[in-house]
Amino acid sequence: MHRRFSLKALAVGSVWVFLGVGAHTSLAQQPNADEIVRRSDDAVRGKTEEGNVTMTVKTPDWQRTLELRYWAVNPDKTFIRVTGPAKEAGTATLRLGSNMWNYLPSVERTIKIPPSLMLESWMGSDFTNDDLVRESSIVKDYDHRMDGETTESGDACYRVIASAKPDAPVVWGRIVLLVRKSDAIPRREEYYDGKGKLQKVLTLDEIRETNGRLYPMLWRMVSVNKPGHETLLRFTRLALDHLISNSIFTQENLRQPF
Amino acid sequence: MLFFSMAWRNVWRNRRRSLLTVSAIALGLAFNIFMRGIGDGFHEQMVDNSVRAEIGHIQVHRSGYHDDPGLNRTLPDPEKVAQAIRSLPGVRGYSFRVLGNGLASTAENSSGVQILGVNPAEEQTVTTIQRAIIQGRYLANGMQRPILLGDRLAAHLNVSLDDKVVLMVQAADGSMGAQLFRVAGIFRSGYPEMDEGVAFTLRSDAQTLFGLGDRVSEVALLMDSSRQIPGVLETLKKDLTGESVEILPWWQVEPFLQQFIQIDDAFFYIIVLIFFVVISIGILNTLMMSIFERVREFGVMMALGTKPRQIIRLVVAEAFALGLVGIVAGTLIGSALTQYFARQGINLSSFSAGAAAVGITSSRVYSELTIANLFYSNLVVLAVVLLVALYPAVHAAGLRPVEAIRHV
Amino acid sequence: MCEPNMALVEVQHVSKTYHDHVDVHALNDVTLSLGKGSFAAVTGPSGSGKTTLLNVLGGLDRPDAGRIQIAGVDLTATPADQLADFRLHHIGFVFQAFNLLPVLSVVENLEFIPALQGIKTEKRRQRARELLNVVGLAQISGKRPNDLSGGQQQRVAVLRAIMTEPELVLADEPTANLDSVNAALLLDMMEQLNHDKGVTFVFSTHDPQVMQRAHRLIRLKDGALIADELQGPGANAISI
Repeated sequence: MHRRFSLKALAVGSVWVFLGVGAHTSLAQQPNADEIVRRSDDAVRGKTEEGNVTMTVKTPDWQRTLELRYWAVNPDKTFIRVTGPAKEAGTATLRLGSNMWNYLPSVERTIKIPPSLMLESWMGSDFTNDDLVRESSIVKDYDHRMDGETTESGDACYRVIASAKPDAPVVWGRIVLLVRKSDAIPRREEYYDGKGKLQKVLTLDEIRETNGRLYPMLWRMVSVNKPGHETLLRFTRLALDHLISNSIFTQENLRQPF
Repeated sequence: MLFFSMAWRNVWRNRRRSLLTVSAIALGLAFNIFMRGIGDGFHEQMVDNSVRAEIGHIQVHRSGYHDDPGLNRTLPDPEKVAQAIRSLPGVRGYSFRVLGNGLASTAENSSGVQILGVNPAEEQTVTTIQRAIIQGRYLANGMQRPILLGDRLAAHLNVSLDDKVVLMVQAADGSMGAQLFRVAGIFRSGYPEMDEGVAFTLRSDAQTLFGLGDRVSEVALLMDSSRQIPGVLETLKKDLTGESVEILPWWQVEPFLQQFIQIDDAFFYIIVLIFFVVISIGILNTLMMSIFERVREFGVMMALGTKPRQIIRLVVAEAFALGLVGIVAGTLIGSALTQYFARQGINLSSFSAGAAAVGITSSRVYSELTIANLFYSNLVVLAVVLLVALYPAVHAAGLRPVEAIRHV
Repeated sequence: MCEPNMALVEVQHVSKTYHDHVDVHALNDVTLSLGKGSFAAVTGPSGSGKTTLLNVLGGLDRPDAGRIQIAGVDLTATPADQLADFRLHHIGFVFQAFNLLPVLSVVENLEFIPALQGIKTEKRRQRARELLNVVGLAQISGKRPNDLSGGQQQRVAVLRAIMTEPELVLADEPTANLDSVNAALLLDMMEQLNHDKGVTFVFSTHDPQVMQRAHRLIRLKDGALIADELQGPGANAISI
């Protein structure tokens, strides 16, 4: 996933309104691909984020649901703690820059995730460790071009093709974005590998007003390459651009009982 | 009979030249047999080491496991499989195992590992890791969550005996599982992938870690001899029809090994080819010279009524006689050499660094003499000799009697 | 000395030319016939076509023009692959030298042609020994050609030529490498065989001693027949 899983919520809080950057702003008559991508990227992030998410992972063999609490200071700090079910509660992930640590309450140990495992899934979901770490690079690591218009889930959308720049340090060869014409909120993203094969599809639904702005509250990542695998993220509470203490993003915090 | 006497006597008209040619054939063949014998022995050892290190002669898993291994693809009805195995003759040992992937971590470092959960008593009947232990000891039932690591992994994690290692895995139900293990022993197999990526735990501990209950991933078997494998495959397939299992011989489990052997063999055949081209030139030369010296004779024979194809037969018979002597000598020498080194072995310690990379963990190679080796080597030499003889034979048969008789 | 009544050998207008640097007319419209039991010499200077005549008579070479018939078989119409077979069964050859196969003993050399014909070992061995006895050469039966004198070799060659009783024996300068004593001995043997067994001989030579012994003399010059006459005791008998 090109953008961080840190769930940069784009609820237009008071801060945003103050800054005057509204995700509600309609796109200009003659849309420019770069601008659309930038706007869609802004539509799902905030300077800081904090909230509760329910993550449901489905595979052909099993299904499980985790309750998560997370904090993020964009672009480089994330903290996620599992709050339920009880068996896994207390497991936490800290990310600072491109480093990542997991805390395992069952053995009371903090382990560092080595770079070699960055493409492994995070907590068994369809998102990877890399998704958490990567700064949003859809804007700067890809070339963009318009590819017409279409309707996605009832919304009139622009279709933009983002192709990875030759030496960009990205996993994907190409990402196809379907972005709402009205407010640049992305509805669907298709991820293609370097050989042009479709690997994952992200759909964003339940766009509701929260924190004074529109935000997709349901994210669904389907691994096309692994039939039957998908992950749902449902935001149950979201606060954007509030102040978050730095002590959250420390290894000591990993070990705190919540 | 007169014909064969002629052929034989013609060969020895020039004793020195014929002996030289025969020697060339004999030495070439002996060399060929010996090299093949070393190759065969080498490959046999490679296979044996690999088989004894981890994979066993035969593995049984749930159908589809090999192509798409998954924690939940456990072996259906292990008891039935065990029964089928116990009724087989010539089984030296079998081991039911749990296989899974995870992350091994210490404070310093983390590393992805393949985790093998084994029953020590069973496992030791199949594999020989216990002989490769350089520190500590092999696993034993009764130990408290022991782990056995390769030396490279231990170095990477910076652990020594009795240190604690966290194994973090995704369990069968999808949840994250983690356990603390204590380093009971460190091994050096000589296989880099094994020394840096495999960790052994007790089967029961692995089942707990992966949330498998009493399920297992596979069973590995070791036979008395690798030649029994095809027969055993047949029997097992029959006994286990109806079960959704796959029964795989080692070369399907680890095709790389088989491919390496095949490539190695291919190189050998190329060398043999080059070698035979050289020998052929020598034989051809000898035969052409002997023909040239007898042009008048051939003329007389044909004038008297010998047909061209009879001339061809004569020359080919002469070549055959030469070849036969060479073959007999060569086979004797080659076999003797191969058998000698089958007992003595050849010391490869000067090459052992490279040797480890392809799985020889001992530095002695023992040659091996097989019927196939002798058969094919002889066949090829014979074929070469006869083929090479065709040119001089046809040349002789094509002489015109009137001119040949006048030949000086 | 036989009374030739049917032509064993018919040569009709035979010519042969070799195309070397220059064209060599080895035979030039030669016509002759020979009866069974002939004892004929072919003579002429070097290059006169003696060997060529013998070669075409024996089916070793093919004339460019004309017809050759031996024992009723038209050689010129016989396909090449059958000529060897014809030679095997109907012609005997004696060459100037190197007749015998060096790796075979005298007896084995004699057995060579019958062996090619498929005659069984016992039969052919018996005949070989018979012939050797007839000419008093039994004691050399086991020797190799290299152990024999030139004269002995040539005599054995003649015996070999008649082992299977061919219609015609052709000898190309058989005495050229022999001294006069051995030459005479060889001619004695040939004449004996001609007289006792009716073997037809045609031999080429330029040795006057040898020419004298022939019952018929055929002279060639530059490939053409310039003389063909009977001579010796039966010279006045009717010839064809």
